[in-house]
Amino acid sequence: MILLTDFLNRAALILLITVVLFSGCASAKGKLKEAYAGEGRFLIAVYPVENLSGTPAPIKEIRESFISKLKTQGFDVLDVEALEKFMARHRVRYTGGVDKAIAKAFKEETKTQGVLIISLELYSETNPPKIALTARLVSTGDDPGILWIDGIGQGGDDSPGILGLGLIEDPKALLQKVLQSLSDSLQNTMLSKRERMDIRGGKRKFRPKIAYRSPILDSSRKYTVVVAPFFNSSERKNAGEIMVLHFIRHLQEFENFNVIEPGIIRQELLTLRIIMDEGVSLSNADALFSTTGADLILSGRVMDYQDYQGIWGKPKVDFSALLIERKRREVVWSSDSHNEGDDGVFFFDWGRVNTAYAMASQMTRSIVARMVK
Amino acid sequence: MANLNRILLCFILIFSAGCAATTGIYRDPDMDFEAIQAVAVMPFANLSRESTAAERVRDVFINKLLSTGAVYVLPTGEVARGVARAEIQNPPTPSPEEVIKLGGILKVQAVITGVVREYSEVRSGTTSANIVSVSLQMMETQTGKVVWTASSTKGGISIWDRLFGGGGKPMNIVTEKAVNDLIDRLFK
Repeated sequence: MILLTDFLNRAALILLITVVLFSGCASAKGKLKEAYAGEGRFLIAVYPVENLSGTPAPIKEIRESFISKLKTQGFDVLDVEALEKFMARHRVRYTGGVDKAIAKAFKEETKTQGVLIISLELYSETNPPKIALTARLVSTGDDPGILWIDGIGQGGDDSPGILGLGLIEDPKALLQKVLQSLSDSLQNTMLSKRERMDIRGGKRKFRPKIAYRSPILDSSRKYTVVVAPFFNSSERKNAGEIMVLHFIRHLQEFENFNVIEPGIIRQELLTLRIIMDEGVSLSNADALFSTTGADLILSGRVMDYQDYQGIWGKPKVDFSALLIERKRREVVWSSDSHNEGDDGVFFFDWGRVNTAYAMASQMTRSIVARMVK
Repeated sequence: MANLNRILLCFILIFSAGCAATTGIYRDPDMDFEAIQAVAVMPFANLSRESTAAERVRDVFINKLLSTGAVYVLPTGEVARGVARAEIQNPPTPSPEEVIKLGGILKVQAVITGVVREYSEVRSGTTSANIVSVSLQMMETQTGKVVWTASSTKGGISIWDRLFGGGGKPMNIVTEKAVNDLIDRLFK
């Protein structure tokens, strides 16, 4: 009799938890709608995945999976066929950003309120699989801006756990985990309209090895920043573009910076016919400052951006960053960073980093934290 | 006694084989180095087998020099624009006339040129280690005269590496050591 009562109590408890959880899901969807009730429905166009990995990857599947996750979470997604027609009409071939004209056309013609840009930075199916993705939501209309940006780089052996029970050997399972994490991040941002994070510090080993910070940089001021293309001297294809995305993501985390959408910068560079062979010259900087209204221009050079496949190896990242200020036409930040995946690792691979993405992310975060001090 | 001298000589030779050195320093006694406020660092010449060695060493040198706060270093993009405007045929080795012209365009008091002589891994038996060797010179832009030169070699196989292995220090660390050494000599 006592056992039966105990069983009934447990069953009731489980039922209660299930009801609470389900009611939470339902209200989450509701909240999402409510959050943008003032502007009508929040329609997102999901661009085809920009493949920066330099290797073949199932980009179509990645996009489809992301769209289905967004729909599950209650987002309205622009029909793929309608998006393709729009892209053909406006001859959109570049899917790594949105310029002003396209953002305006999106708003007027499709009533889309955000464009989701997905950049694939690493895709390896060799066991253990590795995937790195950055996604950002850009607003449409006359003044496009970055509403949300997040990224994740994971290896199947990041958390092996006891007896290797935490190992992920299936690339599809890892991809789903990464996409879920990104779509959760987007939902959380949209639901709570949370203030941007202000993460200072980070691990000591990821700090820049050499750094110069001018006293001109005011930590209490809000700066508008252009992240110009990084010069790529590494053997990794698209390493410059990947570093740009790392910096945009971490600059956006701080209240001190407002980053201009890179699609707008790309268009301005094309319009001004600026070719940066050796980095940003002051005349190039002046032109960019006047057309974009920015206060700072960030650029740099990537010397190494190496990932490895399989079990043996270690990632390696080496880059320098440079920040030019508008009024003084001066360098206000300059740094040199380099790390390897096993830096500071002494026992049982504790603290080891398995992807260049995860390492570069911590390195750039550390730089941005020191910029604002 | 003769045997003891031989043993001592052997020890000195063994120890000095792996030591790094800063050699060939020249400072113009008539130059007022404190008057230098801004410098342009030209692309370095590369005599090593590593194709990106010159860029890597130049990058580290520029950042390190800026971080001292003693002088302002022009961004590399601005230097490239100045080189193009001054029509310098061989940027790593500009002539005095070209340096004067470049100084006028970039509004700098000095131009630094450099040569990366070695940027590789050296081997001795089963032991290997990284080695970097760099030479720099500074030319003032009023006369185009060389006012400072120095060279530094860091890394290589030390007695510790010979005895216990280990493969020496990473290339980035060795490069930073060589650059630190050169900058110390500049502000000495």
